[in-house]
Amino acid sequence: MRNFQHFNPASLAQATTTLSSKPDAWVIAGGIDLLGEMKNGIIQPGTLVNLKTLPNLDYIKFSESDGLRIGAMATLAKIEAHPDIRKHFTVLSQAAHSVATPQIRNVGTLGGNLCQRPRCWYYRNPAFHCLKKGGKECFSVSGENKYNAILGGGPVFIVHPSDCAPALISLGAEVTVAGPRGKRSMPLEKFFILPTENPLRENRLQAGEVVTEVHVPPFHDAGSSSSAHRSVYLKVKERGAWDFALASAAVSMETNAGMCRSVRVVLGGVAPIPWRCPQAEKTCMGKQIDEALAAEAGKASLAQAVPLGKNDYKVEMAANLIKRALLMCSASSASPR
Amino acid sequence: MPKKVKTTVEFEGRVSEILVDIPDIETPLWGNDAELDIVGHPIPRVDGDKRVTGAAKYTSDILLPHMLYGRILRSAHPHAVVKSVNSSEAEKLPGVKAVISAFNTDPIRWHGSSSLFDKTARLVGDEVAAVAAVDEETAADALELIKVDYETLPFVTDMEEAMKDTAPKLWPNGNVVGGKPSIYERGSVSKGFAEADLVIEETFRTQTELHTCLETHGSVAFWEGDKLTVWDSTQAVFNVRDALAAALNIPSNHVRVIKQYMGGGFGSKLELGKYTVIAALLARRTNRPVRLMLTREEDQMNTGNRPATLQHVKVGVKKDGTLTAIELKSVNANGAYLGGAGCGAPYREMYLCANVRTEEYAVYVNTGRSRPARAPGHVQGTFGLESMMDVVSRKIGMDPLEFRKKNYATVNQAQTNPKPYSAKLLDQLYEAGAKKIDWWNRDKSRNSGDFHSRKRGVGMASQIWGGGGGPPAYALVKINRDGSVNVLSGTQDLGTGTKTIISQIAAEELGIALADVAVDLGDTETCPFSGSSGGSTTAASVGPAVRTAAADARLQLFEYAALELKVKPEELSSRRGKIFVKSDPQKSLPFKEAARKAGNNMIIGKGFRGPNPDGYSLNTFGAHFAEVEVDMETGRVTVLRHVAAHHSGRPFNPLTMTSQIEGGVIQSMGYALSEQRVIDPASGIPLNMNMENYKPMTALDVPTIEPILLTQVDEHCNTLGGKGIGEPPRIPAAAAIANAVADAIGIRIRELPITPDKVLAALKSSVPSHKV
Repeated sequence: MRNFQHFNPASLAQATTTLSSKPDAWVIAGGIDLLGEMKNGIIQPGTLVNLKTLPNLDYIKFSESDGLRIGAMATLAKIEAHPDIRKHFTVLSQAAHSVATPQIRNVGTLGGNLCQRPRCWYYRNPAFHCLKKGGKECFSVSGENKYNAILGGGPVFIVHPSDCAPALISLGAEVTVAGPRGKRSMPLEKFFILPTENPLRENRLQAGEVVTEVHVPPFHDAGSSSSAHRSVYLKVKERGAWDFALASAAVSMETNAGMCRSVRVVLGGVAPIPWRCPQAEKTCMGKQIDEALAAEAGKASLAQAVPLGKNDYKVEMAANLIKRALLMCSASSASPR
Repeated sequence: MPKKVKTTVEFEGRVSEILVDIPDIETPLWGNDAELDIVGHPIPRVDGDKRVTGAAKYTSDILLPHMLYGRILRSAHPHAVVKSVNSSEAEKLPGVKAVISAFNTDPIRWHGSSSLFDKTARLVGDEVAAVAAVDEETAADALELIKVDYETLPFVTDMEEAMKDTAPKLWPNGNVVGGKPSIYERGSVSKGFAEADLVIEETFRTQTELHTCLETHGSVAFWEGDKLTVWDSTQAVFNVRDALAAALNIPSNHVRVIKQYMGGGFGSKLELGKYTVIAALLARRTNRPVRLMLTREEDQMNTGNRPATLQHVKVGVKKDGTLTAIELKSVNANGAYLGGAGCGAPYREMYLCANVRTEEYAVYVNTGRSRPARAPGHVQGTFGLESMMDVVSRKIGMDPLEFRKKNYATVNQAQTNPKPYSAKLLDQLYEAGAKKIDWWNRDKSRNSGDFHSRKRGVGMASQIWGGGGGPPAYALVKINRDGSVNVLSGTQDLGTGTKTIISQIAAEELGIALADVAVDLGDTETCPFSGSSGGSTTAASVGPAVRTAAADARLQLFEYAALELKVKPEELSSRRGKIFVKSDPQKSLPFKEAARKAGNNMIIGKGFRGPNPDGYSLNTFGAHFAEVEVDMETGRVTVLRHVAAHHSGRPFNPLTMTSQIEGGVIQSMGYALSEQRVIDPASGIPLNMNMENYKPMTALDVPTIEPILLTQVDEHCNTLGGKGIGEPPRIPAAAAIANAVADAIGIRIRELPITPDKVLAALKSSVPSHKV
């Protein structure tokens, strides 16, 4: 790690101005991912612009009329424990809880979780000048690719590491970013980009921009007696804590009288971006979900999967997770564990 | 003068005959009926408070005035000639005090024909140069400024590839260590297979496991004139001292090695490390103390591993379950330098079988070197053997536990003249463990999961290990004028509880309170010799020496007490702080009062470990029973329960023994389910030199671990009646878990670790059967 300046900006505007004016300035929130990159020599910032001292960026606000608003600096620990999130946005609470360890969740922020860089071990190892770092080759293609992408890959085969992103996309969240030219919002789903668009980046943040807020809109008819909203996040790890997803599934569903009225299905850990599964959603829309239908939805979502050699298992795993999550969300199913 | 005799000692499976004294102070066996106040009781760690409050000084806590920080530049290539090292830029960096390499130091021999800085690098991570600087950051920056000109050579990281004639050679004589396999045979396996009703063949594989000590390897080196003091994170201060003195060509009494506290060694810290010599060289060159602690990445890369194995197993069995032949052909990844690799011992020893043959290849590959890893060989071999025993028993339709009992060995068949085991209560362990896990009703467990997506199963495995310890080991017991006591022995506490157990033994023998005993270990200058802390031998080697030293000191003190009580010293005994007349216990004197009478007449009790008994094989046994749940849709295995039944003679301290069992099971769970070194095949670069992608288990993974301790004294092993427990719990756990997985899903996973990808692949390609 190289020496760097640590800068506490007086305002968000000062933060974004500094970030855009200094090419080697990086934003630091919780710092978990950033410090890892610095220690591994992947990045060498000259200046760190600290967001922790800025006021009013760590709020969690909920109202039935406005939905949920979370400041980018809210910690994952606060998100997972928040009673309104646990009650209305289970998928997000579960996703936040599934991240790493309590120590990391106490420090890690929502903004950092959404903007973290890939965990691919070729990317993280300074000995490999890979495509993701401006090199010529994605070493995972012919290398040790057990943890790499089966969907949306090429020319880079990283998987997006965020757990909160699939959860939030399943809830139809939008993200607000602030930059030197002001604020803009977009659906969180559109925030992430495939490597075909830019192999060096995972999202649409422009120079100087930082994530400031995530907004989850309210449900159409919350409170109606015949309708229900359920959501769930399932994540497979190789150990109980401190592990990124081999595959994960976020499903958020509204049912009315047992029929699926709306549903979003998003996979994590299988693609360079949180992977929306319209096929699964189409399969379920307007139907009563049973095991066969849920299995069909899972299979349909993975039909385009192209495993690399050592990650074939993800195809079945992800399809099964979709099936299981859909069954858990549909009112008809008994409550699986 | 004590009489010299020959005795047999075993360390990590290696048996040797040594010359030893018989102690002239007799300490009779503490038998099953001995009334002990402290030994055998669950005493918390005597240094636990220091460890948990941060007061304990580990090597990385040593901070000396003007101390510099060392870092090592390591080879970026798995096989390369180091043609030149240009350090001029690094030396110009402010704060850099020295840069050393093969090109500006005298060669120091290492690993046989290699050297400290070898001009051929044989793995990614081999030492090429080193820096001392005023802080760690500067040292790290300096490493980046060193220019190394490499000529890369062809390399091989896969052990099966390495055995082929076409493979790049690491050493002139080829990649098979010693040029041929190590072969053992008793009886005739071809005869045994001919006698069999059924011959079964299977292949098992185990991964490369890394020790992953929480405290990385490292040293602090400090010269005062021509005398060197080294703080080292080591399992063997005397090994380090003598090897360091030899490496630097100075007398042993010019080197002092100190190890107070350490955070785990597991076999990877049994010898002098290059980092220690490098720290000493840098300290000498700069005339300042140097601390050189390896980073996590370096530690995972190049401080040892449990070598990967390939085990072809062939077993002959009769319909009634009698084993007629066991044959093992194994390939073991030795790494780039001789490290020791083999897994055949359990095959040779565990079960009664007249015809056994093991043929074992250790193979050089361009990766980190194998080192002893908590029950080296036995852990790998027991996975293969105990998986195989499960397969065989199921194939002949016999209960796996009954099958093991049927082939119960009571003598050590691997010895030329097989000796009986000094104490083998494995049959009782089987019963106790089976009862606890409800073995005979395990079908109930199998059907209790959510049957669609999660299945449960129960499996078991057995264990044999040494752990009898032996000489040489020495201790001193000093009684101070206030009655407080110092115990000194050149052994070391790895975090296992040695200090606590030594305190207990000394206090028990002296008849005083535990709080009145202070124990000093791990210092070659102040402590008499004791051996390496490995092989589960420490308590059984050092403990009797401590007891004899305490007995000697007590006898000396009794001379003062005898004057006071007007009796003969031999009429006295001591217990609970009092010295009393055996025939008239009312006639007594406080221990501390007697010490005051002695005043500054120094009481120094000397003790050493006597010989092991002739005519017995000293071993330890255990049986594990695991219950698992397998998620059929994700492939994830969860251990629900783990019963670990062990017998090592008297448990010196049930609390530390339980800790050893729990630690062993947890470490084994990682071996069974998640830990695996991964090397990029194209570049030879290891990819997971951290604890993120090299995955030890976490608190959330650990199930209810249920230890069962049989407490019967081993009457033959030594005067304490107890043996070691450090390694035994590591041995059968992974096999028990693997057998439980096979029981749950009806498909056997033959390769560790049993990760979700392997389970899903197996479920896809195999048909479940109860005969796996």
